[in-house]
Amino acid sequence: MTAAWRNPSRALRTLWRIQRMAVLALCAHKARSLFVVAAVAMGVAALTVIVASVDGARRKALEIVEFFGPDAVMVLGGDIENRPVGQRVYTLTWADARAVARSLPGAYAVLPMRSIRNITLRYGNQNHESPVVVGATENYASTWNWPLAEGRDLSEEDVAHGAKVALIGDEPARQLFGDASPLGRTILVKNLPVQIVGRLAYRGLSGGGSDVTIDDRIIMPITTLTQRFNLDRKYFRGLRVKFHDPDLIDVHKDNLRALLRHLHKLGPTEPDDFTILSASEILKFLTAFTGGLVAFLGVTAGVAIVVGGFVLANLMFLSVSERKTEIGLRKAVGASGAAIAAQFLSEALYLTVAGAFCGVGLGVALGESLSRLGLLQLRLSPKVFVLSLVAALSIALVFGLKPARKAAAMDPIEALRGGGD
Amino acid sequence: MTAHKEAAGRPAPGQALIELADVGRTYVMAETTHAVLAGVTLSIAAGEFAAVMGPSGSGKSTLLHILGLLDRPTSGSYRLAGRDTGELSDDDLSRLRNRAIGFVFQSFYLVPYATALDNVLLPGLYSDMPGSVLRRRGEELLAQVGLTAQAGHKPSQLSGGQQQRVALARALINDPDLILADEPTGQLDSATSAEIMGLLATVNREAGKTVIVVTHDQSTAAYARRQILVHDGRVAKS
Repeated sequence: MTAAWRNPSRALRTLWRIQRMAVLALCAHKARSLFVVAAVAMGVAALTVIVASVDGARRKALEIVEFFGPDAVMVLGGDIENRPVGQRVYTLTWADARAVARSLPGAYAVLPMRSIRNITLRYGNQNHESPVVVGATENYASTWNWPLAEGRDLSEEDVAHGAKVALIGDEPARQLFGDASPLGRTILVKNLPVQIVGRLAYRGLSGGGSDVTIDDRIIMPITTLTQRFNLDRKYFRGLRVKFHDPDLIDVHKDNLRALLRHLHKLGPTEPDDFTILSASEILKFLTAFTGGLVAFLGVTAGVAIVVGGFVLANLMFLSVSERKTEIGLRKAVGASGAAIAAQFLSEALYLTVAGAFCGVGLGVALGESLSRLGLLQLRLSPKVFVLSLVAALSIALVFGLKPARKAAAMDPIEALRGGGD
Repeated sequence: MTAHKEAAGRPAPGQALIELADVGRTYVMAETTHAVLAGVTLSIAAGEFAAVMGPSGSGKSTLLHILGLLDRPTSGSYRLAGRDTGELSDDDLSRLRNRAIGFVFQSFYLVPYATALDNVLLPGLYSDMPGSVLRRRGEELLAQVGLTAQAGHKPSQLSGGQQQRVALARALINDPDLILADEPTGQLDSATSAEIMGLLATVNREAGKTVIVVTHDQSTAAYARRQILVHDGRVAKS
């Protein structure tokens, strides 16, 4: 090992021989080896789950942001966070929508919306209970960044004439028409015959924990909806506003809020009678639940890895003192201190790397069951394996170094006598 | 590193392999110094078979440790094959032990989880010998000590005499000039002791190795052609 650079091939051969000795020694102490592997595996399993779930949450968050659009806000009537008693939910008017479209700087699309819930759709002898029928103005799909699989978006004329047309979501289209195209077909929405003019592409996103997919919906002109289903004609439930510059979204939100407070004639001390949500608030809402679990897992992973490290260090110290005569003998017959240290570090490394592999396997199994229970959304990536290996190497180096150095520093005579700690 | 090659080179028979000049070894223990060896001057020629004798506590083990480069003198000088060992670093000493000295111990010190053959090969694994050569040599040496059939046995499956024969084969694996045996028969009955000493005598006679045996047992010492008596840390008679 001395001056290895002077003869790299010799150093490599020695290192290779040391690896074989390390493996032999590990096999000779199976119970102890398994204990270390298990301890490290626990830590790495926790790490795997945490990394995969953080990745899963981030991926979900990105999907939501992408779906919602970083350049848009959603205005809802009423204060949904505080819900003051007796506050009206229907506070947004057509006048508000027109004012926003006309005078809010940076805004380019304003989409008023309202909806009715749990409506039965019928086509022929097929029935489908749709959780939501949305009424919206023109360009619903493009304002929601929602591609159309076929057909066209709602048009200005549809809205102006209260036309009996609709866009159909992927879920009801599948239920009512199977693989056939729904375009041009007329379905019954409750009792209203409506012609399908467009089909929304599959989105596959289920909102915060519920199993209702956003693909399960029908969209018709808001005028049609209010007239045919006898809804209040003055107000609507939500207003989607898109802006040109997503970087200025916070400024836009402030402007919008000020404008709406002005339009609603709210005094300085009165609370908002509306709520403005942007992608970041929706995320906050959705991740509040998983956040706690993620933090808990993070602490668990950290503790488990440190515990694994201490188990390794302790069992290595035990090993070093038990194998004192072996160490003394090796030194007597010509092993350098570096060769001894290399052997013990290699032993540590093999154990922790084996622990890492078992741990990733365990973590994947654990994660599978957690995500099957719907507690976490997991995303496994090569990063998990890399991180686990890095953790394993760090454990071996951080916690294995001291015992290895202790072995390397042993005086051969003392060690052979079995004493000399 | 070139210096090592000189040190490991074969000295001509008769030339001094070991030269101790006024060697002392003192231990400092809780403010008192304790001299285990003092003023030892000794010369051992290549090819000799010597026994170092003396009562326990006389310093003979310390002398053996110094001769085996496991310990350094606190005063005086030790020249091995003409080279002053006081100038060498710990790693240099490791390499020199590896190639120039073979050890046989009272308690055998075999690695318990390795087979007889692997134990024989152990010093070779820290040397530059290619693996195939090493393995062939190990098998030959096991044959020489009559343990071919036990090559795959663990030490726990071997008798004391067999274990010491494995240790002797291990001492020879790197073809060193010097064999140091520390009470090699201390844990063996007289018949097995005779076997081991016979093997050491053969190694001395036929392979020309310098053999130094530390013992307090007269019958063991009788195999040697030269007796060195150590008493109170000094060479009383050589």
